[in-house]
Amino acid sequence: MKKRRSPFLTFSFYAFLLLIASSWYFVIGIKNASLTELFSKENLEYATKFFKGLLGVGQEEIAFLNRDSWSDAFKLTVETLQMSIMAIGFSTIVMFLTVIPAARNVADGTLTLSRRWYRWFVFGLIRVSYIFSRAIPELVWAMIVIFIFKPGILPGAIALALHNFGILGKLCAEVIEDTDSRPIRNLASAGANRAQILMYGVFPTVLPQFLTYILYRWEVIMRTTIVVGFVGAGGLGQEFKLSMSFFHYTEITLLLICYLILVIIADYISEKSRFFVK
Amino acid sequence: MSEKNIIEINQISKNYERKIALSSLSFVVEKGELIALIGPSGAGKTTLLNLLASILEADSGELLVDGKPMSQFSDQKKRAKKIGIIRQQFDLVGQLPVIHNVLAGRLADWGFFKSLFNLFIPQERQEATTALKRVGLPDKLYERTSNLSGGEQQRVALARLLMQKPEIILADEPVASLDPARADDVLDMLTKLAKEEHQTVIASLHSVDYARKYFTRLIALKNGKLFFDLPADQVTDKQLEELYQLKELS
Ligand SMILES: Nc1ncnc2c1ncn2[C@@H]1O[C@H](COP(=O)(O)OP(=O)(O)O)[C@@H](O)[C@H]1O
Ligand SMILES: [Mg+2]
Repeated sequence: MKKRRSPFLTFSFYAFLLLIASSWYFVIGIKNASLTELFSKENLEYATKFFKGLLGVGQEEIAFLNRDSWSDAFKLTVETLQMSIMAIGFSTIVMFLTVIPAARNVADGTLTLSRRWYRWFVFGLIRVSYIFSRAIPELVWAMIVIFIFKPGILPGAIALALHNFGILGKLCAEVIEDTDSRPIRNLASAGANRAQILMYGVFPTVLPQFLTYILYRWEVIMRTTIVVGFVGAGGLGQEFKLSMSFFHYTEITLLLICYLILVIIADYISEKSRFFVK
Repeated sequence: MSEKNIIEINQISKNYERKIALSSLSFVVEKGELIALIGPSGAGKTTLLNLLASILEADSGELLVDGKPMSQFSDQKKRAKKIGIIRQQFDLVGQLPVIHNVLAGRLADWGFFKSLFNLFIPQERQEATTALKRVGLPDKLYERTSNLSGGEQQRVALARLLMQKPEIILADEPVASLDPARADDVLDMLTKLAKEEHQTVIASLHSVDYARKYFTRLIALKNGKLFFDLPADQVTDKQLEELYQLKELS
């Protein structure tokens, strides 16, 4: 059977082609940009210099071959790890405190089989706070928090937690919304009250999924410490910015190695704990 | 009112928006009866069971359990001692080990801390083991419930009812999603255990054969009305034919 092509699809395809063609015309024709300039000899030279710098070619002090630099970097790595654990810890706690009333099926009473007029109000309030938390990037949160506190890993952790609790809250509330209400109804008919329904019916079904999200966000937070570090939140990120400003390229290499190690650690832990949950 | 009547239904009606689900239905159930509700789909079987379980409320009419109106059983802990429910196997919490699904039958008697503590160290393990032995699953205590087959999960649900010990068991199509051999098995066990525990059973069933084989009294519904209400051995094939006929003979 031959499928008729939808006119909208055809239209989109031609519009797409037109868009690409006109963009290139704008870039090259009107702005006078030249592709050859991008790959000029000068740029090539800068690039070689930068990568040579990273590898420490022809330099006296090579940070990633230096014991003291390694021990400094190790301290910073531990700090970063602490910051990320604090951040995910804070956001997980706040998420757990708010996530149940933030689920639609709790608000309308289908999950816990009890209706209260104020549920929708609480639901709205929490959902708006989630949106607010998510909408503001980590960097902005960090700038605000550091403006209030003095720089350090605690404000960094708070900034990261502020951004991530909204993300975790939304993801986890959706997990609760997807739970099957049939086992829950049956628990209720076996005489379970609201707290018992949560303990026996809701938590066992949603916790494995929660854990997956929490571990994933933890890994993301670990990488984002570099961003909040830029505005003085401490850890590897702050050092990274200093090394960049002072053109200490071999230190950058060392710090990148540290990040690599952190991500490998996070990977290992999340794999193990997921296995453990099953 | 007789002492033996555990359920009395008097002129009960239930409408959904404009649709009539049950219209002035009346019957009386004695303690210890095994009743099968039969009738074509849409006849109102689920609606009737939900009224008895007080999941729904009747529009009019009177529903007495132990001579008392349903409103006296609004406390779900008290109600759970009186009425237990079993539906299809999707009613268990799949992620929990079998023992917790069985022990959930005790939640009506447990407080907050005992329930919480039980999730870490199972309480009343002796009783749970005995219940699982009676339903023929003695070695599945710590298995994840969702790993069990449909028939096995229904047995776990029966074991939960053994822990709950309600006086009345309501079963809505308890074997609808099981193959014939498992269905036989589960119904046999349900009726056998109910007899041993002197419980009253009202079960809706798709199959008339099962209804006649395992139950003592058949109540047939059609279009929300009582079509017949007879002892299982007095139901004739002609009556059944009429029950499941699409159009009324005029
Ligand atoms: N929630 C509902 N809303 C509207 N109509 C319903 C609802 N539940 C059941 N009904 C209608 O009520 C009638 C009885 O349904 P039900 O009790 O489920 O019958 P059975 O269990 O015998 O198949 C059917 O006609 C059905 O369409
Ligand atoms: Mg039904």
